[in-house]
Amino acid sequence: MVWSWIPQNIGQILQLTLENAYLGVASALIGLGISVPLGIACVRWKLLYPPSLSITSAIYAIPSLALFVVLIPYTGLSDATVIIPLTLFSLCVLVPNVVDGLRSVPEPVRQAATAMGFGPLRRLARVELPVAIPVIIAGLRVATVSSISLASLGQLIGVSSLGYFFIDGLQRDFATEIFVGIAMVIVLALVADVALIVVRRLLTPWQRRHLPPAPPSVLTPASASREMAEVS
Amino acid sequence: MITFDNVTKRYADGTVAVDGLNLDVPAGKTVVLVGPSGCGKTTSLRMINRLVDPTQGRVLLDGQDVQAANPSVLRRGIGYVIQHTGLFPHRTIEDNIATVPLLSGWGKAKARTRARELMDLVGLERAMARRYPHQLSGGQQQRVGVARALAADPPVLLMDEPFSAVDPIVRASLQDELLRLQGDLRKTVVFVTHDIEEAIKVGDLVAIFRPGGQLVQLDTPERLLGFPADRYVEDFVGFDRGIRRLSFFAAAGLDLDVRAVLTRETTVAEATQVAKGIGEQWVLVIDAERKPCGWVALADLESAPETATLADLSLVGWGHTFRPDTDSLRAALDATVLSRTGRAAGVDADGRVVGVTTYERMRAAIQSAEEAAVERQSGWQG
Repeated sequence: MVWSWIPQNIGQILQLTLENAYLGVASALIGLGISVPLGIACVRWKLLYPPSLSITSAIYAIPSLALFVVLIPYTGLSDATVIIPLTLFSLCVLVPNVVDGLRSVPEPVRQAATAMGFGPLRRLARVELPVAIPVIIAGLRVATVSSISLASLGQLIGVSSLGYFFIDGLQRDFATEIFVGIAMVIVLALVADVALIVVRRLLTPWQRRHLPPAPPSVLTPASASREMAEVS
Repeated sequence: MITFDNVTKRYADGTVAVDGLNLDVPAGKTVVLVGPSGCGKTTSLRMINRLVDPTQGRVLLDGQDVQAANPSVLRRGIGYVIQHTGLFPHRTIEDNIATVPLLSGWGKAKARTRARELMDLVGLERAMARRYPHQLSGGQQQRVGVARALAADPPVLLMDEPFSAVDPIVRASLQDELLRLQGDLRKTVVFVTHDIEEAIKVGDLVAIFRPGGQLVQLDTPERLLGFPADRYVEDFVGFDRGIRRLSFFAAAGLDLDVRAVLTRETTVAEATQVAKGIGEQWVLVIDAERKPCGWVALADLESAPETATLADLSLVGWGHTFRPDTDSLRAALDATVLSRTGRAAGVDADGRVVGVTTYERMRAAIQSAEEAAVERQSGWQG
């Protein structure tokens, strides 16, 4: 390791990190934007789900470099050439998570919502999606980390990302640069993951486990006998 | 008032869940639909708020066919309570309770005020308002479920096995609570259960279903126990229906004996004379305030010194008492059976003895209650 290389190139390191972050996070968020309606449709029309699953898995099996190359004639060497494949890859994780999340809503909850007078859309927006958030965000975490990592490959077609350090380091036979690239990808993935955990906690205050347990209600016999025990 | 007019529900696979149901649920009454699983009781309930639509026939709510109503609007006017509560895990207790008022556009402040009132009504501490459902016990969650159903003050309340998932002690207290609430609110309640005891306890009328979705008998709990329509109902209501039916006969019909009730100051000679005079084997000893002290046997009186008072003798505990003014014949019989003397003391609200019952007197009271019931029944059938 040549430690002095890091401060000398700090500007470039941060620049490429930001570009890499942008590519990864944008892909995952666009993927989420597609997966939510697609997942809702798959839950609503069950026949849609198996083919959706097969198609997203098939796409995931395509090597990313191959997809970049296929897209170059249409989108050139722009960010879109990287973001489109990464978005498609993220669907493989996100669609099943949206579907599982919506299916995780307990049947009594769904039924009670209907019986209270929620129409289908309101029920989806106010009950089912909020209850599905933990499962959806769990999928988003995987998709984001994976997109951030894959985004470095954009460098192969000249879209700047942390991948630059791998290629440049290899060509110059300079290990420090490669290690810094790897370290920054990991740091980026961890930061994104922690950020999503924070988002989930903010969106799902009802899931926190450290709240105090419930006091007994005044009228249960159990609490009455406890009160009597305390008095005597 | 809810009317089932020849309602049938047949599923695509040919299963008949409900078969030609005709049933009236009178306004302000609790009607319990009871039967084994697969008898169509829950399906019938769900046809009222259109969670299920009938294949044939009509369900009328105050004379209007529910099929003609917008389902969401219809449902906001019908409270719904289910076994697993179906509380929204992501909403606080107060927001869960305020669900229907919020949906109906009450505004947040008014809806929350209403939620707090309902928490008081169903016996939940206000401190729980900001908690989430998973932080509450099963019984508390079920109270929230009841509060949520009542929030918009709907005239109709549907309850689908609401207390089946809680332990027996909590269940009993929730049932008592429902009876208390219903005494004040007088909702039109349709209550589904598979537990005949629960049906008999909470129902003004009980509808017994048999598998295949047929209504077998609709009657008051007392008549159901006394006059089951057929062998199926008889088996369903259980083996000791004769005893359980006594719950519906008032102990006020008992002719209580006051002659063998004597104060502690009475001498043994006097007591012996009274007991022999009326042919009674036991004397109930009371204090100056007429509170029971215990029993003394005629045999013990005869072996005691004549000048002693009853206070000097060792007494047999008076056991359980009953309240002739409020209790049933079942409670009186229970107190009598539990007593070592085969006798039980009836007391007033302050615990003062008003008289004594014996097996003989129980028998006479039960017989006359039975005769009156048979007379009512033949009047009912005629």
